Amino acid sequence: MPSVFTVDPHSGVPMYLQLIEQVKRSVALGVLAPGEQLPTVKQLALDLTINANTVARVYRELERDGVIETSPGRGSFVRDNGGVGRATRAADDVAASAIDNAVREAKSIGIDAAQTAALFKRALARWYPEPNDVKDGRS
Amino acid sequence: MTESTPAISIDRLTKRYGQTLAVAGLSLAIPQGSIFGLLGTNGAGKTTTFKCMLGLARPTSGSTSFEGSPLTPPLFERLSYVPEKCALYEWMTGAQLLEMQRRSFRRYDEKRANDLMDLFALDRKKKLGKYSKGQQTAMALVLAFSIHPEILVLDEPAAGLDPVHQRHVLDLMIGESAGGATVVFSSHQIGQVERAAERVAIMHRGTLRLAGEVEQLKSDLKVVEATFDDEAPSLNGLSTEPSVGQIQRAGRLVRIYVKGNGDEIARKIGDMRPRSVRILDQNLEDIFLTTVGSPSPAAVSER
Repeated sequence: MPSVFTVDPHSGVPMYLQLIEQVKRSVALGVLAPGEQLPTVKQLALDLTINANTVARVYRELERDGVIETSPGRGSFVRDNGGVGRATRAADDVAASAIDNAVREAKSIGIDAAQTAALFKRALARWYPEPNDVKDGRS
Repeated sequence: MTESTPAISIDRLTKRYGQTLAVAGLSLAIPQGSIFGLLGTNGAGKTTTFKCMLGLARPTSGSTSFEGSPLTPPLFERLSYVPEKCALYEWMTGAQLLEMQRRSFRRYDEKRANDLMDLFALDRKKKLGKYSKGQQTAMALVLAFSIHPEILVLDEPAAGLDPVHQRHVLDLMIGESAGGATVVFSSHQIGQVERAAERVAIMHRGTLRLAGEVEQLKSDLKVVEATFDDEAPSLNGLSTEPSVGQIQRAGRLVRIYVKGNGDEIARKIGDMRPRSVRILDQNLEDIFLTTVGSPSPAAVSER
């Protein structure tokens, strides 16, 4: 069975960061439900063909961040209490950082603020075609 | 998983063949249960290092210890080595070679061996001399993994294998290491090292150029790239910064190789009125090429 996650080992971004982001995203989107069991470290390492210690690190950091909990002998699970909230905030952070990068990129190639705002308006119109979408923001 | 005593520790290993210094003062520590990738250009000394480690070549000086002790014959019960060029008995069939392995190793696991034969689609009845090069490599890997080794030394283990079988080799290594085995392998395919290895060492012309955790190296090595409206200004001030490595200039473009996240250097460049500044990630291939000193053709022409 294909894994829910994918990583790009050939990226300059460390794999553990890619994977942490993806697990949080999956939890935020409900692809992984509260209480749902994650694959074992070894299983996920083999599914993705990546180093098992890298996966172990991902699980450690997700546990520290309160997104999953691991009980010895039973495995790792998406936390019932607050795991989704934390993952949603983390997913918001990912979106915020993507927007931040886009603005920085625009500035770095000499696009001024007004022009950048116009580009954003265009992107908003494309992805939020209903007027209400824009007004309310995130519900 | 990280015991204080490394599974393998190489101490100032030097090997000279006549006038040629194949390995010069190499020291490495390979932690228990890890996968360690050895990268290098042809002639970097990877194979010689493996041979010296395992007593197949006598080092000119220096030593290797396994779990803190020198190499002794009993270790070969639980160590598997797959050399770059596998010499299998050509007149034997696959089945006969497996039988020989069964008689030679107490740890031999017949079921495992059979599963691996199927995994690599090897014909048990065929003579090994009739196997393709890739099949011979696969056969050597079957033998290596059939004894559930605690230490695996694999010299170019995926050479000549098709992409599907290459992936199997990586999975086998990952599975063994997850079970506590220590794996050392060399490869020309940086992508394999990037996937499977926790740590990597880059050798060039017999010496160690860079060693560390793959993920850490990616976090710690960045490139700050800036463009200017006119000729890029002199960056002499930056070259003395401890975090700055190579600086490449090509007309209006500069690339600065930095240790750390690159923010500080990017800020300093920002003060020089550039047209653009960005911080680029480096994958292992970029890091490898920078480390073995192969600057981009554009930069060469500007020197």
